[in-house]
Amino acid sequence: LAVAKAKDSKKRKGSRAGKPVPAVVPWRGWMLRNGIFLLVIVAALYTLYLDTRIRAEFEGKRWALPARVYARPLELYPGLLLSPEQFAQELALLNYQVLPTASRPGSYQRSDQDFLVASRPFKFWDAAEPGQRFRLRFSGGRVAALVNADSGVALPLLRLDPYEIGSLLPAQNEDRILVRRADIPPLLLQTLVAVEDRRFYEHSGVDAVGLLRAAWTNLRQWEIVQGGSTITQQLVKNFFLTQARTWTRKLNEMIMALLLEWHYSKDEILEAYCNEVFLGQDGRRAIHGFGLASRFYFGQDLAQLSAAEAALLVGMVKGPSFYEPRRHPQRALERRNQVLNLAAAAGVLTPAQAQEQRQTPLRVAPVPLGLSRFPAYLDLVRRQLRRDYRDEDLRSEGLLIFTTLDPLVQLASETAASQGLRELDKLRTAQGELEVAALVTNVANGEVLAAVGGRDPKASGFNRALLAERQVGSLIKPAVYLAALEQGYTLASPLQDVAVTLRDAGSEEWSPQNYDEQFHGTVPLYLALAQSYNAATVRLGMDVGIPPILDVIQRLGITRELPSYPSLMLGAAVMTPLEVAQMYQTLAAGGFVTPLRAIRSIVSAEGNPLQRYAVDVREAVASQPVYLLNNALQQVVQQGTARTLGQRLGRDLGIAGKTGTTNDLRDSWFAGFSGDRLAVVWIGRDDNGTTGLTGASGAMRVFAQIMKQVSAQALRLAPPDGVEWVWVDAQGLRSAEGCAEAVPLPFVTGSAPQQRGACGAPPATPLENTLDWFKGLMQ
Amino acid sequence: VNPAVVALLATAQGHQQSGNIEAAAATLERALSIDPQNASLWHQLADLRLRQAQFPQAAQLAAKSNLYATGNRTLQASNWRIIALAKEGAGDASGAREAYQRADALEAGQP
Repeated sequence: LAVAKAKDSKKRKGSRAGKPVPAVVPWRGWMLRNGIFLLVIVAALYTLYLDTRIRAEFEGKRWALPARVYARPLELYPGLLLSPEQFAQELALLNYQVLPTASRPGSYQRSDQDFLVASRPFKFWDAAEPGQRFRLRFSGGRVAALVNADSGVALPLLRLDPYEIGSLLPAQNEDRILVRRADIPPLLLQTLVAVEDRRFYEHSGVDAVGLLRAAWTNLRQWEIVQGGSTITQQLVKNFFLTQARTWTRKLNEMIMALLLEWHYSKDEILEAYCNEVFLGQDGRRAIHGFGLASRFYFGQDLAQLSAAEAALLVGMVKGPSFYEPRRHPQRALERRNQVLNLAAAAGVLTPAQAQEQRQTPLRVAPVPLGLSRFPAYLDLVRRQLRRDYRDEDLRSEGLLIFTTLDPLVQLASETAASQGLRELDKLRTAQGELEVAALVTNVANGEVLAAVGGRDPKASGFNRALLAERQVGSLIKPAVYLAALEQGYTLASPLQDVAVTLRDAGSEEWSPQNYDEQFHGTVPLYLALAQSYNAATVRLGMDVGIPPILDVIQRLGITRELPSYPSLMLGAAVMTPLEVAQMYQTLAAGGFVTPLRAIRSIVSAEGNPLQRYAVDVREAVASQPVYLLNNALQQVVQQGTARTLGQRLGRDLGIAGKTGTTNDLRDSWFAGFSGDRLAVVWIGRDDNGTTGLTGASGAMRVFAQIMKQVSAQALRLAPPDGVEWVWVDAQGLRSAEGCAEAVPLPFVTGSAPQQRGACGAPPATPLENTLDWFKGLMQ
Repeated sequence: VNPAVVALLATAQGHQQSGNIEAAAATLERALSIDPQNASLWHQLADLRLRQAQFPQAAQLAAKSNLYATGNRTLQASNWRIIALAKEGAGDASGAREAYQRADALEAGQP
């Protein structure tokens, strides 16, 4: 029918052009006839040109779709360490609404420790997760029960839909979520047609009747209620033409609208319209299409909108910024109700339904925090992506990027960092503004869970977590001690903490001091590390040799070239917080390098998996010396430079960590890990001035605050084969269990001191000792 | 063992049987993030990589499994067999022989 009509209209246009003109003079008639003939030819050619253009552009129309970046989905299962508050926070981020009986996907109900949730379906790269109503009960900070609410069947686990943390926008900053005709709710389409183009299904692109009626209605009500353009014309205007209001443009618009209707079905035109229509601005991001608008204004998928919500979106077509519901709620409400009335008048809604919908509040979702909510993290994601993708593909192909970001960890880290800085600002007297960087990773697999790039985590400036190259100070010492342990030193090896003088290549002689400006004589190796004694470390390092230390650092995952001076042993070398995290990750993973990852997988716009970043491990250091070192790093917290950490944490997470302080208190570092989380915190000044802070008084404060909230599992180091525990007394001699001033230490089997001290050892074999000791631990 | 891990193992096996090895690997990784020190999960991941002829990664994952398999000689021996096959696959005959010897020794009950 549309085709016939369009042809018909073309004929009409032809006949208009050929209106009879009185022939006065023959030669004039000849000119007129030929002139008219020429005109018809030109008009036909021009129409043909427009026709070609329309078909080429409409059929080849591919919207540049931004890449969408998602956080990790929250995996729920019985036994998961998660508090009801954290769960509620996740639901709030995902914009789940509190509704009685969790009646629609994306809503929930809570009574204290019990949740009833209607989850949204989501298609992950490996499988589709159905939406379902489930009950979740918490107990003692864990998920105690997880049951499908409709069938009552216990669920082993489920994935919530992931939080969208941002998108990589195409060149024009147009953002949209494509919807197909079949997925657009009929109610929305009917309302749209009722308001924008009542005779959409009757006209053939241009609607003379509608034009007149609109003019009449507007005149009667003394305001512009209806526009004269058809939906097809509006689409043509947005698609092909400039916004200039000229007669030629109007004419082009009409011809092209007719042509569009000739070639394409009403459904195709509606679908294109629903995806193209401009519905708002979010900073530099332009909100296009009902699919995205639904998410942007209501936090819901299009299919889940109520009649009132759909009415608001339709009403906003007329003036997206004028009716912006967050800025102009009253105006938006009135417009919405006007649309509901029009829908009722057109029979889309019954009068009763319209009446009921008019009573509902706007219920607009809070401004989505999505876009560049976590700029430091997105920066990390972008850097990883750039290794494998071209920038233009990232910005136009509609890729879905699944990252490892844990929004709960990210938010906790941001709060800890800014609060920590505020506290330090009050406490300290030194000048200069402090800056901060923090990274949190998953000990299990090297996934980066959070990145804080500076004091203001929402600012997208210099990303210190990735880019700040600062001297690491004592953070490097574990590499010195690991190299020593690999060479046969034990945790009980006596070190000499006495004055020492060194010369770096091309520099003056220097004598490292200890932080307390004292020397401590003979100390066991583990204690020298725990107390971060500089003199003992330098003497140890000189014996081990710089090359083996550099080799260990490299094996731990640092690829940058470091200076091979003796001052390296005290951390006179720069690294970024990310590099430090990589190095400590290898220690946390028992000597296996696990490259830090921010992305799990990438899926095409059509839902096909494109790329997966799999867990990758590489044995870099034997597990026995790493086990010994990690025990010593736990002593740093138990009795060493970080002994106030336990008090700050308020519970024992068994953290293995290290403080780092650089010359003149320029940099304050802390790096460490519990059973499940690793964190690195740096505090310093951008001008590299003094902070007046040590690792313990600065960065450790923020570290504690982060770990307190994000770590659920204490570190219990699992001894690898080939390690035994032996009691050793203050003289470094083997002693009986529980002797005064004796401590149990792990040794590579056979390397423990053989000579017995005064407090004699029982006749038991070392292996039995070890087993007893472990049984004691387990009980 | 956590029922979530059991469910994921079943899913992984399903993926593997239908020939979708990468989905199986991803599912095992999900299980590992729930139970990261589960030596047998690491072992299965190593086994998948071996099937995909990703020899270096198969050997590394088997070594990682051994890190958590303290005292479990049977599993340790299986891991050494994966390492042996991976070395064979990578053309390292002497490395393979050594790994087979480790596996045999573990099965014979020697340290």
